Amino acid sequence: MSTELWVEKYRPRTLDEIIDQEEIVARLKEFVRTKSMPHLLFAGPPGTGKTTAALALAHDLYGENWRENTLELNASDERGIEVIRRRIKEYARTLPIGDVPFKLVILDEADNMTSDAQQALRRTMELYSRTTRFILIANYISKIIEPIQSRCAIFRFQPLPKEAVIERLRWIAQQEGVEVDDEALEAIWEESQGDMRRAINILQSAAAIRKKVDVDTVYEALGKVKPREVREMLEAALKGDILGARDKLRALMYNYGLSGVDVIKLLHREVLSSRSPLRVNGLPLADLLVLIGDANYKIVEGADDEIQLMAVISKIALMAHEKKSK
Amino acid sequence: MSSMAPVPWTEKYRPRSLSELVGNEDAKRKFIAWLNAFLKGEAKKKAALLYGPPGSGKTSLVHAVAHQFGWELIELNASDFRSREAIRNRVFGAATMGSLYGKRKIILIDEVDGISTKEDVGGLSALLELIEKSRYPVVLTANDPWDPKLRPLRNAVEMIEFKKLKKREIMQVLQEICKREGIECSRGVLSAIADNAKGDLRAAINDLQTIAMGKKRVDMADLNVLGDRAEQASMFDIVRTVLTARRPEQALAVLRLPGLDYEMLMLWLSENIPYQYQGSYRAIADAYEALSWADIMLARMKRKQIWQLLPYALELMTAGVASARDKPPYRFVKYSFPQKLKLLARTKNKREMFRVVGREVARRLHVSLETLRTDIVPFLRVIYENDPDMAEKIYRSLGLTKKEFEALIS
Repeated sequence: MSTELWVEKYRPRTLDEIIDQEEIVARLKEFVRTKSMPHLLFAGPPGTGKTTAALALAHDLYGENWRENTLELNASDERGIEVIRRRIKEYARTLPIGDVPFKLVILDEADNMTSDAQQALRRTMELYSRTTRFILIANYISKIIEPIQSRCAIFRFQPLPKEAVIERLRWIAQQEGVEVDDEALEAIWEESQGDMRRAINILQSAAAIRKKVDVDTVYEALGKVKPREVREMLEAALKGDILGARDKLRALMYNYGLSGVDVIKLLHREVLSSRSPLRVNGLPLADLLVLIGDANYKIVEGADDEIQLMAVISKIALMAHEKKSK
Repeated sequence: MSSMAPVPWTEKYRPRSLSELVGNEDAKRKFIAWLNAFLKGEAKKKAALLYGPPGSGKTSLVHAVAHQFGWELIELNASDFRSREAIRNRVFGAATMGSLYGKRKIILIDEVDGISTKEDVGGLSALLELIEKSRYPVVLTANDPWDPKLRPLRNAVEMIEFKKLKKREIMQVLQEICKREGIECSRGVLSAIADNAKGDLRAAINDLQTIAMGKKRVDMADLNVLGDRAEQASMFDIVRTVLTARRPEQALAVLRLPGLDYEMLMLWLSENIPYQYQGSYRAIADAYEALSWADIMLARMKRKQIWQLLPYALELMTAGVASARDKPPYRFVKYSFPQKLKLLARTKNKREMFRVVGREVARRLHVSLETLRTDIVPFLRVIYENDPDMAEKIYRSLGLTKKEFEALIS
């Protein structure tokens, strides 16, 4: 049963169904025709079709029993390189079914692996290269170590162009019997910037609010998607209510289960949004970016999320206070 | 009497019934309520943890209960080596088997915060197993229940707090002992002993025995033999010392305390900076800045194994925090336990549920759990709140029950 979540329901199943990314698709089809391919590295921003292309390639290579010949792993979810190696080892022991002489390993979010883990992965790739081909998927190619890059054919996925996204959204809306006007589509594009997954999710949540989607519906949906607490936390900090801001921060972290980096990302988006209370209060944009970027660095370095974010909140409160008293 | 082998008075005068035990009425009541619930099979927790400063009556309460009700007391205390084997050999059988004469039992494991995770290998997990399987009430005691290594234990026990005894209560016990020993002792002397004991009744009784044993009367001159009892600093005192220090040296002094748990101290400081420095945004921001740097130094130290960084971390979290500019004038603040730890414990089940349900959904959608959490769940939530029919179609197609779906998006 296909899922009723539109991102999955309307995910292209074959290479033919993929819109845009023509050059990439053409080369992938060539692999299917010759039944041979090198290891591949798909790099590009979220929602540009990397995973979709890998799955469609698997489908076209093996036909209906593609699942038996494909191992899907997500580096962010597996506990360490040892687990990944063990799973690949078990899987690569058996020969491929059908007339394609290799099996596929799709390793998503490979750039989340440490460079040591990537070194180990490289050895694994070599060990099983007779019977398996790897498709590594990453947002940032620079986070993949050189020795792996040099063993892969690299495909760079670009953010999808506006026309392609809007056309696809319009088609999905039509399939679902949802009315959506041009202005709404424009707004969705503005908010997703070539990230198809985000665009479709915005459309579906807007359609959940009203079957006739206009620009206000889109913004209503977006307003609800973002945890209310982010803005409330900033408003409290700007008012100088540090304890109130801390309560909101804790709701985000311990109720919603967001990590420190997730909260930082939301704050970052907030700083860049012209409607943000931070900007309305006229705090210097450069100072805010330094503050949040610095906290981001510290959290990635392994520091305590709550202490670092409280340092940010207390600094924002101080900046707002000093601005007022000038 | 005085010429006999010196039985410690702390043992000799251990209360033999609840009414003989002074102080901590709330804790007593809570403990009895828990015991009653346990006996009826209605207790939410199978063990109780009595915690509080030394000499506040934790162990005595258990002894008094056992004696008064005629229960067999099975006891493992600090001097025993509490490995998995020791716990198994010494108490496991007793706890899981019925008694020969149908006598009830109560199991006391004293000073669990003294269990060393290094030496008492597996001791803690054996303890958890004991609590799980015991047919009789298990009672643990500890001075510091917030020790990180006791975290797994805290979830499994009824926490009962003991406070320092009041001076009046200590004097009352000392007076009673003097009477029974036939010693004449002025109120001034008792008052001085009680003051010196700082809420620790065991210390007070020991001091009394030291100066009074073998005498018919005691006066102020006898007090000279007693040394000043150094109060064991509690986290509250340490936090207060750091946050209200007027000179960096005062804050640095806490680093000389033996066994200072600096990671815990950071959490306590982070919790309480906004309370102590309320009113000065500059002070709060400066203090957090110093604390955030202490935190970074610790992270770097651990990650890169550069142990030389430890002093900087410690100095930043004490003197660094204390040197915040524009500190508001001193005022007494009641400090709060780091809520982060409580919240994490409380939301643990929820996070576990998300992981279990989320893993399968993430696989179906070809994304990581993290991407599911940040990029998909927020949209699912909006859909669920606005169009339950659409939400139902989605979760059914993902093979989820309504409950599982709600666990995913809550």
